[in-house]
This record gives sequence, structure tokens and C-alpha cells, in this order.
Amino acid sequence: MAQRVLTIDRRALDAASARRSTAGFWSDALWRVRHDPTTMVALALFFTMVVLAVGADALSDNFFHWSFAKQDLLNTYARPTLDDPAMWLGGDHIGRSQVVRLLYGARVSLFIGVFGMIVTLTVGLMIGISAGYFRGWLDDFVVWLVSTLNSIPRLYLLLIVGLLFKLDPLSLAVFLGLLGWTGICNLARGQTFALRERDFVVAARTIGATPLRIMFRHIFPNVLPLMIVLAAIDVAGIILAESAISYIGFGIQPPVPSWGNMLNNASTFLYKGPHLIYGPGIAIALTVLCLYLIGDGLRDALDPRLRGSVGGGRR
Amino acid sequence: MGRFIARRLVQAIPTLFGIMLITFALTRLSPSDPVQLMVAGNFDITAEDKAVLRHNLGLDDPIPVQFGRWLVQAAKGDLGNSFYYHRPVTQLIWERIPNTMQYTIPSLILAVVIGAPLGFVAARLRGRLPDHAIRVLSVVLHSLPEFFVALLVVLILAVQLRILPIGSMNTVGISCALCGDRFWHLIGPVLVSALSGIAFYPRLMRTEVLEILGQDYVRTARSKGLREKVVLAVHVLRNALIPVVTIFGGLLAIVLSSSLVIEQVFNWPGLGRLLFEGALNKDYPLVQAVTIIGGVLLLVSYILRDITYAWVDPRIKVR
Repeated sequence: MAQRVLTIDRRALDAASARRSTAGFWSDALWRVRHDPTTMVALALFFTMVVLAVGADALSDNFFHWSFAKQDLLNTYARPTLDDPAMWLGGDHIGRSQVVRLLYGARVSLFIGVFGMIVTLTVGLMIGISAGYFRGWLDDFVVWLVSTLNSIPRLYLLLIVGLLFKLDPLSLAVFLGLLGWTGICNLARGQTFALRERDFVVAARTIGATPLRIMFRHIFPNVLPLMIVLAAIDVAGIILAESAISYIGFGIQPPVPSWGNMLNNASTFLYKGPHLIYGPGIAIALTVLCLYLIGDGLRDALDPRLRGSVGGGRR
Repeated sequence: MGRFIARRLVQAIPTLFGIMLITFALTRLSPSDPVQLMVAGNFDITAEDKAVLRHNLGLDDPIPVQFGRWLVQAAKGDLGNSFYYHRPVTQLIWERIPNTMQYTIPSLILAVVIGAPLGFVAARLRGRLPDHAIRVLSVVLHSLPEFFVALLVVLILAVQLRILPIGSMNTVGISCALCGDRFWHLIGPVLVSALSGIAFYPRLMRTEVLEILGQDYVRTARSKGLREKVVLAVHVLRNALIPVVTIFGGLLAIVLSSSLVIEQVFNWPGLGRLLFEGALNKDYPLVQAVTIIGGVLLLVSYILRDITYAWVDPRIKVR
């Protein structure tokens, strides 16, 4: 599907060629991103969220004056109010501050998303490029593995993993990564198939470059742009999967707050604390939206020919 | 065509084996002892009894032997007995599959019926307001997690406005499969489950229609004087619908995965809920079997997808 011939957006191409014909690939891409308002807004929002998540400790100490585990019986199911910063989004069933927990949840969710993406990218690229380069039995094996993993509903597998191991954010991120590399692997493999027949690879081979060097120095840099686009979308997919598995209670376990288990908690108290579901739900949706938009923007910036093709792969 | 189907079926065998292998390996990684789980609650069981039970279950054999035996049994349609319900797991699963199908099939249809026309409109009005609106809608829907939307449906439509029921398949006291009450209970799950499709189809359809509009045969059709309506209906729409049909398999993967959370929110006794309950009870044979059945359903849908693809587009067969 991804290798399909695509319609070229004329205006984008004209604009690109008219601008700076001497600009390098990366500085050209940067220029494009900086002149794309949607992507810049999404980047700014995402960056704000990262800063808030990283600064969760400082914020809860100095601004909210409320730690994420602090309980207060007077504030059980407290409605959102502007009087006390800690109760901006209300209090939960044991009177903990929803805002502060949301910040700590952001920390967990963003960490899992980014770390999981690093795992998928590493595994997917290594397996995909070597399968595409060596072909033969290795490729057959990889195709088998990928089609097998794709044939099992991902959330079911995650549930089994959650059932077997007590998951902390790090191990959940690793598992999410180990289960989610198939899409990246397929794309890297496809690209490597095409690249390995190109003249510069053949030339490298004739002067005696080792396969490892060819894969690292010649193929990898050419696969990279597409992978950066996928990385953003991948983080979104992993955050969604993490929140889903934590929502059904087999992911991150309380008292560690994650957006998923906060929603699970909120769903138990729909009558008493209906305001509790909005915070974590909107936080997940907003983060994922930003990441999709960033992915879209990066795709347009890195390769205008790919407009409207990659992306949208959910889970 | 017959050869294509046969080859595709043969290709499925290693994948099926892989599904079995991964599921078996994962459940065997379990730190808890199945015998211990089976006798939980019986305090008069001695160590000898456990050893006998272990031997009878074949749990003292080498792992590859166990896997082989399990495969043979599975081929006969026996995936073991549930630790918790003490019934064959396949029976339990067969009881639940119709319940899941009841809302997934309407939701897939709903997704096509809403999503595909939106994509067509977006492509026709490219760059104008409806196109942007549809694009925004699709991206936003795409970012909403199903369980959050499901919770919103329950909270707003059921708890606060009381338009829809809060969950489960029927009102207490009513038990029927084809009646107003069931339809009323189906609305929530169908809507939420259709969401990912409604988000996905406009994008797919838009790229597809735009690509086809640039094809030579469309220009030919126009230049020979066909009316625009005929060009669109006969040449564009028919070709654009190919991926819409063939993507069904991939969509089923998403729908099956999300059944786990959707059935949880709507308290719907389907496959996902069975898996969830199995996991809560540490009922490994059940969890194993539901995962395998889910895998088989997906595998079958992928095969059907490839066959329909080859059927509507004969060029595929030559690969």
C-alpha cells in the first residue's frame, strides 16, 4: 500500500523548488516545518506537555502544594473549582488532586510512548533492514514472524503479558515496543529491497564494504526520513495502547497514576464524580492528536511526494 | 483463481502455527503453577495428589512434548478445559462469538456507509471548506481512544440524559435477540466500535478517488463525452471501492482488539469480556483459547481480503 504511486502536490513542489535551490535536505525540511502553522502549534502543545510532565515534582511542591498521593477526605469528589489550584479539576474518590495526578500520569504515559517508540524503531529497523538486505531464509523467517504477530489482536497479547508480569512503566514500554515493531519493519524492509539495487549500494559492495557497513552507512540514512515520520505516529499508537491496557486494569497499577488507570478509576464513580473522566480522556486525545499532526507535518516536510499516504495506522 | 486460493490457504498454515506457538510460549512463561491454580481453595489436597494431577495433565513432560500434544489436541478442536468454569473453553467461546458479531458487523457496515461517502465528498471538493472539515473530523476521531468515547456515551447519554441503557445486552427481565430492547442496547457499542472506521475511511477514500481522478481512463471517459455523473459512478467510484472492501480485514483487527475495552465499558458479554474475565480469574486455558480464536478470525479475514482483492483486481494474481 505504501509504495503506491501517489499524486504529487504541485503547489508544494513548486514552492519548494522556487525557494532555495541550494538548501540541504534537513535544513529544507526544517524550513518547511517552521512555515507550517498546524505543525508548529501541535509541536508547541506537545512540548508544553513534556515540560509540564518533567516539571511535575516542582509544580506539585511549589504551585499546587499537593503531592500526587495526598488524600483529603473533605475533598472527595470535589467539583472543579478555581479557588484552590489543586482542585482545578476536582478531587477523586479519596480526595486526591486530579490535576496533580494528571501531571504525573503525563509523565508515565509520555515516558512509555517515547521509550516504547525507541524500542519499536530499533527492533523494527534492525530486523527490517537486515531482512531486506540479506533476503533468503532470514527474510522468509521475518515475514512469517511479522504476519504471525499481525494476526493476533494486539490488545489480547498485551493482556496476556499484563496477566503474567507485574508491569512497571519501563517493562510495559519494552513489551509495547516488542509487540509493535511490525509496521516499521515492513516499511524498512520494503525500502531496503529497493535501495539495495541502487548504484551507490552496488558501488559500495564492489569496493569491498561489509554488509554491516552498507546497512549502516548507506541504507539506514536513506530509510531514516520515513522513520522519523513514523516515530511520531508510533508514539501516539503506543500511548493509546498503554492507556487501553491500563484502563482495563492490566497495565500500570495504582497507586502509580497513568491516564489509563485514572480513567478506569473514574468509570467506577460515574455517578458521584462524573467530572473525573474528562481530564485523563482529553489528555490522551490531545496528546495523540498533537502527535498525529506532528507526524503529518513532518511527512509533508520530509517528502512532499508522500502527502496523504503514510500515517493513520492505529495500533 | 482456484490455485490462488489454494496457495493462500497453504501460506496460512505457518502463520497458524506461529499463533499457536506464541500463545503457548507466552502462557508457559507464567510464574504461577497451573496445578496450584486448579486446586486453589481445596485445603485437603496433599503433595502426592498434586503430583498425580500434574502427571495426569502431562505437566511433567518436556515443554516441546507438551506443545506437540497440545497442537494435536487443538487440531481435534479441543483447546482444554477452563480452570474456572470447568467446561471446554471452545464451548464458552462459541457461546460468546455471536454476541460480539452482533455489534461488530453493524459497526463495520456503519463505518463504510458514513466514512466512504465523506471521503468521496472530500475528494470532489478538494481544498474547499468541506474537505478541510472532513479532514479535521477524521484526525480528531482518530485521536479519541474508544474507551473514552464509550465512557462519554455512557456518562452523557445513559447516566445524565437517560436516552440509552447503561450497559449489558437486555433490560433485566427481558431476554430476546431480535427486538426493540436489544436494538436499544446495541446503539452504544455499535457507535463506539464504528468510530475507528469512520475516522479511517474518509482518508482512504479521499486518496483513492484523487488518484483515480488523475488516471488516463478517467480523462478518456471525459473526453469521449460521458456525463460527469457517469464518469464518477462507473469509472471512479467502482475502482475507488476496491480498497474500501479489502481493508475490512485490517479494520476487523482493530475492532476485535477494541472489543476488549468496549465490552468492558458496556458490560457486553462477548469475546472481549470473556477474555477479560478469564484474565481476572487467571484462567490460562481460556485466555489462551480466546487469543487463538481471535488470531484465527483475523487470519481468516486476511485470507478473505486477499481473495476478494484477487477477485476484483485480476492483476494481483500474478505476484
